Amino acid sequence: MNTAAVPANEVVRFARFFLQELKPRGKWLTPFNVISIPIIAAGLVILYFRFTQGLGSVTNLSQQYPFGFWIGFDVMTGVALAGGAYVICFVVYVLRLEKYHSILKVTILNGLLAYVFYSGALLLDLGRPWHIINPIIGNSFGYNSVLFLVAWHFLLYTGALFLEFAPTIAEWAHWERLRKFLTSLTLGTVIVGITLSMLHQSGIGAMFLMAKPKIHPLWYSEYIPLLYFVSSIFGGLAMVIFEGTISGKVFSNLIGQKTHHSHDDIILGLGKGAAITMFVYYFFLAFIFMHGEKWKLINTSWGYWYLVEVIGFVLIPCFMFAYGVRNKKFGVIRTAAAMTVLGVILNRQNVCLIAYNWYVVDKYYPSWQEIVVTLMVVFVEVWVFRWIVTRMSVFSKE
Amino acid sequence: MEYYSYINIFETKGLAYLLLLSFLVLGVLLIKYLAGPERKDPVPGKKNATIRR
Repeated sequence: MNTAAVPANEVVRFARFFLQELKPRGKWLTPFNVISIPIIAAGLVILYFRFTQGLGSVTNLSQQYPFGFWIGFDVMTGVALAGGAYVICFVVYVLRLEKYHSILKVTILNGLLAYVFYSGALLLDLGRPWHIINPIIGNSFGYNSVLFLVAWHFLLYTGALFLEFAPTIAEWAHWERLRKFLTSLTLGTVIVGITLSMLHQSGIGAMFLMAKPKIHPLWYSEYIPLLYFVSSIFGGLAMVIFEGTISGKVFSNLIGQKTHHSHDDIILGLGKGAAITMFVYYFFLAFIFMHGEKWKLINTSWGYWYLVEVIGFVLIPCFMFAYGVRNKKFGVIRTAAAMTVLGVILNRQNVCLIAYNWYVVDKYYPSWQEIVVTLMVVFVEVWVFRWIVTRMSVFSKE
Repeated sequence: MEYYSYINIFETKGLAYLLLLSFLVLGVLLIKYLAGPERKDPVPGKKNATIRR
């Protein structure tokens, strides 16, 4: 018997199966498709100009603002909001809270796609994107740069998330032996993933430590790595609630009855976790504020903007989560989750763009092309997410 | 010396201690609040016994 024929047959079978799976399912003319397809098409055209004529042709970046909306939104914010993956993995595999198991796969998938697309969007913002491989291959390693740590962690954590999700892919492709092998790796991968994630969430904040003279003192702190780490916990939890609410409505036919019923209990648990971490985060901010003696800065326009972020998008959602959990008001919890997601976006934009170079007269504003490309990245991610969840066993069928 | 800024650590620490104490007290209250109200369930042998859930 020819043993080489078996893998060859398997490759042919998988190729046929994959081509079959690529065919679209369901209606084409949906509101989401009508909005997203023109934006994706426009984004691709803009990217063509970006890669052929350089960053200056489509962005408002300058020597004073070497990074803008693409880094500020995609990389900084996207990675923070993907924090739900490591938090839920920690809760399920380390704390052994089994009730969250039903949302584990979908949370890992969201994290994986967020890392692939949002940290992948880094390529768009680099003047010479082919140099992105330098920290990995040893061409000017830059050991003493925080960016070295972040680059390696992004790469390793994306690999870890892929391995965590790989059993679902193997199950979809009917590779049973491979699925069993990949499942046996899960616990080790999860532990490595949690460690990496905790380190690079704070590492992203640590990159701003060298920008002390450029960031407004209300947002700059030596503890910014700690703030980034803690905010990624509640930002991630809020994003899980937010995405879970949308997925629960859009893909309700893919979710089992038991999971549907347990969803409320899961939201209460996530809301409780978010309330406690936001409370801790708020006091960290208060300590930093007091220790830095920043009182004199508060009665300025920057001070009022700071209070909008801290009170409007940290303290108020924290109380809303607590009230919603205590009184089982799911609408309040979902609103608090949306506000928290907005708060994390606002915080990252403040540190990275708005309060960055705050003294400069010619401020940076993103061009319309930058906004369209960012929307394109988000929409393509949603398309890939939809393709995967409608084909693989991501939602619990129980 | 124009870049030097003096921080009075004694003045700062007094307020920081107060803030820490309020954090601990409010933290306990928040956990208690999130745990939910005490429910009164009938327990055999006891009348109107209070059970924390």
